[in-house]
Amino acid sequence: MTSQTARALGASLRYEFRMQVRKPSVWIVPALTVVLFLLIGGSLLRDLFDPDESSDDARTTVVGLAVQVHTLLSIGYGCLLADRLVRDDRLRVAPILDATPARPSARLVGKYLGAGAATAVPILAVYFGFAAAYAVHTGAPDALGWALATCAVVIVPGLLFVAAFALAVPLIMPAPLFRVFFVGYWLWGNVVAPDMMPTLARTLIHPLGGYPLDALLDFHGIDGGDTWAGPVPGATLNFLRPDPTPTTAWLSIAVLLALAAVALAGGHAVRARRA
Amino acid sequence: MRIEISGLTKTYRGGVAALDGLDLVVPTGMFGLLGANGAGKTTLMRILAGLVRPTSGRVTVSGHDMGTGAGRTAVQHALGYLPQDLGVYPDLTARQFLDYVALLKGMDDRAARRRRVGELLEVVALTGDADRRLRGFSGGMRQRVGIAQALLADPRLLIVDEPTAGLDPEERIRFRTLLSQFAGRRTVLLSTHIVDDIAQTCREVAVLARGRLIFRGTVDELTHRARGRVWSIVTDGPPPAEGTVVSALPHDGGMRYRVVAPAAPGPQARPVDPALEDGYLALTAR
Repeated sequence: MTSQTARALGASLRYEFRMQVRKPSVWIVPALTVVLFLLIGGSLLRDLFDPDESSDDARTTVVGLAVQVHTLLSIGYGCLLADRLVRDDRLRVAPILDATPARPSARLVGKYLGAGAATAVPILAVYFGFAAAYAVHTGAPDALGWALATCAVVIVPGLLFVAAFALAVPLIMPAPLFRVFFVGYWLWGNVVAPDMMPTLARTLIHPLGGYPLDALLDFHGIDGGDTWAGPVPGATLNFLRPDPTPTTAWLSIAVLLALAAVALAGGHAVRARRA
Repeated sequence: MRIEISGLTKTYRGGVAALDGLDLVVPTGMFGLLGANGAGKTTLMRILAGLVRPTSGRVTVSGHDMGTGAGRTAVQHALGYLPQDLGVYPDLTARQFLDYVALLKGMDDRAARRRRVGELLEVVALTGDADRRLRGFSGGMRQRVGIAQALLADPRLLIVDEPTAGLDPEERIRFRTLLSQFAGRRTVLLSTHIVDDIAQTCREVAVLARGRLIFRGTVDELTHRARGRVWSIVTDGPPPAEGTVVSALPHDGGMRYRVVAPAAPGPQARPVDPALEDGYLALTAR
């Protein structure tokens, strides 16, 4: 990467972060989601401080919290990012930016990282806020270490995967339609059990991070009885569900990041072809 | 920066030919580009700014071939571009927007960048509004932000497409003066519908029609095209049927019409000296 490319990436990242983090909906959508789930019984967000409902083990509790936060708030995350790339054309800013010597690919990556990071701020604030409160409440500082580790191998790869598709796909379909498809995909690909219908849940392409949860964090649900990755008897797509091991966990993360890169490259190609 | 265009063709999807074998040389200095809607001016500007790839033909700017990525990037390093349909980020302030564009233009030195942004905000009379979000700016204020971003990084090639649209008369005159002062040893390509903007700033001009060059010469030469074809006629009847009416002013209970026509449009018509607008109409009315 030349220094000029790095500077264009940095400028784009900085300003895209600034613009997105000021957007009220970036804060309102996750806030409403959290409030809704605090009101719903059975939510770990509410039961975190109830010794009868949460695990005694700090690792299990904060990893379980990550799963719940990631599952819920990533839906809004993808929807909030869906207009970021197409809005340059909608606002008619694209000609000014495209006429600069800054490489379009560098600007795209800057926008991806900047807008993605800004949209992730409320999610991470919720997660680390609850994790910190739990650590203080239970006197278990290691909960914060587990929270950081979970964030690194589960939440961040998942959000990078979602952000890339949320930026690129609206180039070939209207952003509102993408949001509808995305919510459907998220529920189908993450929540539906593989033995009910063909789904990407529990595969290597599982943005909720089933393989890292299972093989890197040894997480099997709050009650210890859940399985997050690996083959499911009678399910289709089992070729995408090798046995969970640390190697397949890292492979899963690499696959998610590679698919994110492919989505961004596709978005870049679509924009370049329109010139 | 000398622009050389040869055999330039751009055909959009659906077979619409915006440019059709255009040959044109644009020298250093102010250069005007005139043409009706759909004449191909904006497409030409977008090709020169590296935003659109031509279907065929060749464009070089100071020897840089715009058909190559390296050539486009080299030209963009020296380019200031004000598009016709200007947009801004509504959630940034004027200062932040200019800072962002300056960074993308490679102005890395923070102090120099801030100084330049401040100077340009002063030039376009927006210093007092520099830290307001662009969301609240009027069309004319946004246009001034657009002008300021085009002048960042001291471009050697300035391409401005309808720059005075949305500006009030005072702002228009100020911007025209700014462009003329700026031109000097640089190349400024000014595309506009407002013939008076060309008359007041450019020595040389080209006229496009349906993607083709129909005139290239000095402003005086274009004006001369209408010599002997511009008429003033006062009547209380209907406007003259012959020729193109350039203006109509109330006069002593009737109307005074200024008409471009090959022959006197009536017995009362008397010849008058042509202006650039007359020359343009005489050329395009053929």
